[in-house]
Amino acid sequence: MNINDIVKTLDGTLVAGGESDRTVGTVVANDLMSDVLLNDGDDILLLTSLASDQAIRTANIVGAMCVVVHNAKPLPQTMCQVADTLGIPLVSSPLSKYESCVRIHDFLKAESGS
Amino acid sequence: MEYKPTILSGGESRSDDQIMAAHERRHVRRVSGPGLPGSDGQGEPLVIMELLQRLRVKDVMRDHDIISVVRTDTMHFAQNLMKRNHISGVPVVEGKRLFGIVSINDIIMALEGGWIGDPCQKHMATNLVVLEEDMPLAFALKYFENYIFGRFPVLNKERDLVGIVSQRDVTRVLMRELTNELARLEGGAPTPGAAGEQPKSEGALPYYSMRQFVIVRNDLQNAGKAANEIKKMLGEAGVEKKIIRRIAVAAYELEINICIHSLGGSITFILDGHKATVIAKDKGPGIKDVEWALRDGTSTANDWIRSMGFGAGMGLSNSKRVADFFDIKSTVPTGTTVLCEFNLPEKA
Repeated sequence: MNINDIVKTLDGTLVAGGESDRTVGTVVANDLMSDVLLNDGDDILLLTSLASDQAIRTANIVGAMCVVVHNAKPLPQTMCQVADTLGIPLVSSPLSKYESCVRIHDFLKAESGS
Repeated sequence: MEYKPTILSGGESRSDDQIMAAHERRHVRRVSGPGLPGSDGQGEPLVIMELLQRLRVKDVMRDHDIISVVRTDTMHFAQNLMKRNHISGVPVVEGKRLFGIVSINDIIMALEGGWIGDPCQKHMATNLVVLEEDMPLAFALKYFENYIFGRFPVLNKERDLVGIVSQRDVTRVLMRELTNELARLEGGAPTPGAAGEQPKSEGALPYYSMRQFVIVRNDLQNAGKAANEIKKMLGEAGVEKKIIRRIAVAAYELEINICIHSLGGSITFILDGHKATVIAKDKGPGIKDVEWALRDGTSTANDWIRSMGFGAGMGLSNSKRVADFFDIKSTVPTGTTVLCEFNLPEKA
């Protein structure tokens, strides 16, 4: 699952951070950044409702491949700037975090053929 | 971070590894460290602190025309050598191996005692304090401050004598580098010259580097910048990704902690080749119950902090989890200092 797949699956829009050819290794859905930092997975897709610079900075610390913010929350300009600076794709989705989790799960299940 | 002074001792029969003289041991005080975060680095300008970490002993030492004697030379010969060259001590050397030192005090005692014609090996000092060529200059300054000696022999990793460093050498290079740094800060000038460059051969870690970041209370807009900068430095140094992540997590958690829980403070990052150290130091109010604060899920964060995605009470425990060594000291109301160390394996 790459950035294009994420955008399409979550009815989202890539708003900052640019394109990337990385693929999803681990999915983390969380609004508490310390919980995100606990995760040891690689190529994390971070699904969150936290529309702040810190979501991007946290994503950068754990080497996340993409951040998705839900419920069509307005994204602060500084958040987009940080995403551009750190090169982390930032996607805005109108879906709830729960709905995103379900769709991502279904996609990955289909992708793995199980 | 504490750097133990190298003091080698023993008589001639054990003197294969020996080096420069610490013959007046009663004057020797303990060297406590480089004058950096562990001690009182907070009051020193950052540019000087960085310079003292970036420059190494080998950048300032004299590595050619080292005036020395051999063990069979007489004390009288050493006396004349010192007189001719206006120096207060000479190392006793065979090949590259340092056996001892004859100082001006040894000469005076030899004149008084009537053994000025004896070979140096009989009266040279064999309790030796030395510097290592890859030590940061900060350590050398601490040695000069803590010992009475005006110069120190410098050894390489093979324990060979590779130079001598005096206070005059340090002053000369420091003046030059400070001038360069000032020119650079004022704009346009090149970064420091060869003496200040990191030993950054391909794929190798720089031996010593240090950065300090000021963290402002409640400035969540900028919180995390230090950790991201540290992560970038580690990436440029070629550190393994998994280790970078652990260090960055600790730095980030501690940075956020200072920002949301304290009156402000600093994050200091030190990379010394085989170890990375993150030191978080704040100005208060301190933690009443450190054990409680270290438990997962315990936090004094308010709703505003939680709305920003923090305050889950995982910061300290997360930092402890990822570090190879963790220590915390806190005093109410003075403040809290957290130390996280990470071992860096040698690259193949």
